[in-house]
Amino acid sequence: MTFADEREQLLYATLRIRRVEEHIARIYPDDCIQSPVHLSLGQEAVAVGTCAPLARTDMVFGTYRSHAFYLAKGGSLREMMAELFGKATGCAGGKAGSMHLTAPEVGFMGSSAVVASTIPNAVGAAFAARRRRTNAIVVGVFGDGATEEGVYHESLNFAALHRLPVLFLCENNEFAVHSPRSARQSYDITEHARSFGIAAKRCGAGFDPEVVRDAVAEAVLALRSGAGPRFIECATYRYAEHVGIGDDHQIGYRPLATCNEWRARDPLLNSRACLERFEAPIAAEIEDAVAFAEASPWPTPDALLRDVA
Amino acid sequence: MGFAYRIEERPEEIITYRDALWRTMHDALARDPDVIIMGQGVDDHKGIFGSTTGLAETFGRERVFDVPLAEDGMTGVALGAALGGLYPIQTHIRCDFALLAINQLVNMVAKYRYMFGGRFRVPMLVRTVIGRSWGQGAQHSQSPQALFAHVPGLTVVLPSSADSILETYGTLISRRQVPVVSLEHRLLYDVAFRIPVPALEWPQAPLGSILRRRGRHVTVVATSILVLEALRAAEHLSQAAGIEVEVIDLHCASHPDREMILASVARTGRLLVADTSWCAYGVAAEICRLVCEHDPSALRAPVVTIGMAAAPCPTAKTLEDLYYPSLHRLTDEIAVLARGRAKHGVELPAEASMADVYKKFKGPF
Repeated sequence: MTFADEREQLLYATLRIRRVEEHIARIYPDDCIQSPVHLSLGQEAVAVGTCAPLARTDMVFGTYRSHAFYLAKGGSLREMMAELFGKATGCAGGKAGSMHLTAPEVGFMGSSAVVASTIPNAVGAAFAARRRRTNAIVVGVFGDGATEEGVYHESLNFAALHRLPVLFLCENNEFAVHSPRSARQSYDITEHARSFGIAAKRCGAGFDPEVVRDAVAEAVLALRSGAGPRFIECATYRYAEHVGIGDDHQIGYRPLATCNEWRARDPLLNSRACLERFEAPIAAEIEDAVAFAEASPWPTPDALLRDVA
Repeated sequence: MGFAYRIEERPEEIITYRDALWRTMHDALARDPDVIIMGQGVDDHKGIFGSTTGLAETFGRERVFDVPLAEDGMTGVALGAALGGLYPIQTHIRCDFALLAINQLVNMVAKYRYMFGGRFRVPMLVRTVIGRSWGQGAQHSQSPQALFAHVPGLTVVLPSSADSILETYGTLISRRQVPVVSLEHRLLYDVAFRIPVPALEWPQAPLGSILRRRGRHVTVVATSILVLEALRAAEHLSQAAGIEVEVIDLHCASHPDREMILASVARTGRLLVADTSWCAYGVAAEICRLVCEHDPSALRAPVVTIGMAAAPCPTAKTLEDLYYPSLHRLTDEIAVLARGRAKHGVELPAEASMADVYKKFKGPF
């Protein structure tokens, strides 16, 4: 694939994730995917912009909503689709489903369904990277809800205390399932992160991969120079329901008007014509991945007790 | 576990549990630059009851370091460090504090290998210490081996002697395969042991059970300090009444040596389980399950289980001494089991607080 410029390349990567998830939503009613799916629709640009400045050897730790980060970091689409289908060729051999995607070969180090629980793992990996002088940096990805967990505070404190090369990347979509931030938080996320002495900034344009990329690239430079941890709060919006493939704006816990504001700024919707030429190759790639998943074997019974300890 | 086990040639010596711990920690740091020790107070003048004293000075504070009071977070950091190629040794000066790290231990550490299809290994050692005596109370005395061993993916050991420390920790740290939760016993720290141990049968792997004493009348499966109590009871019963007790040191709560236990019960027909924790849903219940499922007809008498009273630990000494099983009661229960009647006529050792005994008794064992 050739690109006119970096922006087009970033938009292509964002569009690719969007189309993958839209396809997942399309085939989900067939029950070929037997796993709860937390779609990143609307949040793809955060993942693409975050992973763009990273090296393959840099590490990312994700959440249960990690389709976008897995793909943006370079995880195999075939292996992801096979994992969602529960097949032996999946990225975790059919033991992870959608919520525990992993691709260590490209530095996507795992994702957890328990909110905030990979944040200290990212900090520990950063500790090891510095101790072993690998020059790798680590990104811990989490949502706004995670900032309420005790382990989040424990992790920020330790990372700041030891000046570790870790970027805390908060995807703030304002909701923990259906609970608004106003019902949950007494603090401002970025201001609070600064109280640990961590250089923190807001990125309000989580819909634009280029803007996110620029913010992260600046942080990555600082991390490589050993300046200590960085923090970015990225505003974003989840188009679909918390889990599942549906739209839930009709329920009323969040106004459709807000969604429409985000959609109005969404470059994938605004630049449709410019991206048109990518649609066919992306569709072909998705078709190939689904065919691969369908044709792949189920895990055999001997896998049940393999790799327990 | 997939690796062969070999007992290193070691000269005979007498060494305390504490010194065995210190030596293991020292040697691990000296042999492998990826080993780190992290825990509250590991670098202070007390050094986890003397098991890490001076190591920060010798090996540097980047490798032996104090941590914030953040058990869950620090366990998560240890996991991440293991993913990044280090071998973290994390300490909790009381087992009770490890309960703050349940999310990382149960949801992350135990599952990181399996949940991601075997793509990762997270070799690490979590050292915890069971508190006992002098009014430790409800939150400084728990012995949660069953809680951890319940979870597939965690390997749980309870070293009962200096040789267990040297063999098990040494092997685990050098092989770097699995995450291990270890429950050390505070009362054992001052006890000296003669090594190599006069064990009759070492496990095929470092994570099995250890046959400590051969006997034909009763099988006692014991954990941690109760292994020593069982050996003392066995010695007494042998001399006082000719009752020969077979003592199996369970050693690895997550991987009990089923064959060793079943073979022993098949010979003796009588089983007593003595565990440092509560009996219900615990090690005692689990060992009974093994026998009931695999060879119930071997039992010629109902099983007997001994553990802490089914309550939080009280602090008053009069209650505390009742709370824990005593040598007196252990010996009595074994004699009842061996003779098949309550009035067994066997002279019993004096009723004495185990804590008092181990504060004075320094071995060698």
